[in-house]
Amino acid sequence: MGRIRLAGAWLALSLFLGACAPSVPISQSKVEISGREAAARRIRLLEPAAIKLDTGYSRTLAQDSVWQSFGRLPQGQVFRPVGTIFTIEGRQVHEAYLVIEEQKLVGFYLPGEENYSLLSTAVPLKFGDIK
Amino acid sequence: MGLALAGLVAGCASGVKHSEMAASIPTIKQGEGRIYFLRSASMLGAALQPDIRLNDQVVGESKPGGFFFVDRPAGKYVAATATETEKTLSFGLDAGETKYVRSSPSFGLVVGRIVLELETPEKAKEDLPSLSYTGNALTPQAK
Repeated sequence: MGRIRLAGAWLALSLFLGACAPSVPISQSKVEISGREAAARRIRLLEPAAIKLDTGYSRTLAQDSVWQSFGRLPQGQVFRPVGTIFTIEGRQVHEAYLVIEEQKLVGFYLPGEENYSLLSTAVPLKFGDIK
Repeated sequence: MGLALAGLVAGCASGVKHSEMAASIPTIKQGEGRIYFLRSASMLGAALQPDIRLNDQVVGESKPGGFFFVDRPAGKYVAATATETEKTLSFGLDAGETKYVRSSPSFGLVVGRIVLELETPEKAKEDLPSLSYTGNALTPQAK
């Protein structure tokens, strides 16, 4: 019984803290995607990658997940997921595409807002091109 | 207790199932995408049935065991419900694309709320057949 109460209290606290989560950091102005390609490059993650968001939430990029080039931002190349969706979360939830520069995930492009969200700690990614 | 239970049961969606109407769902018009809103059939939080807004326009209600869809021009969208706290969901919609937004109850310290999340097409397509349509009447497509 005590365990159930403890679990309940923890769940309630988690939800309460979730409601008070900080907002996802976004760029002050809209960003513009350049270099959208008709025959987009596709990559496959060779290893899973754990991402700790600045809002306290975390995400995992699955091994073998496939991402397609969507264009380019000054911060890096933008990749959208293929056959699935990806979101980041803080006070709000945002659909997100990966922004990759020099084999590192440096941030996210938010297509629902045309904004960029910087990841304060870049995450190295191991991926290969799909021919 | 009985009254509360009756209220919860009465709150579940009871329209035609997706599996029974799939053939009559119109195709997406050129330049538009489709957004499905779905909610699993669960007694948990069944009394919470807030309006769902898309870009500040009410498009339907979150009902347990229910689904509906709206077609919109390709562009940027923000979906939200108004319950305990407002947690919005932003996403992009491409022409010809179908997005799935799941609503589900979540319980805070005092009251519950309904939160929205993007669902994967794979999981949404698994759940949709058993859900009941809660949207507006569909007009038959011209042959």
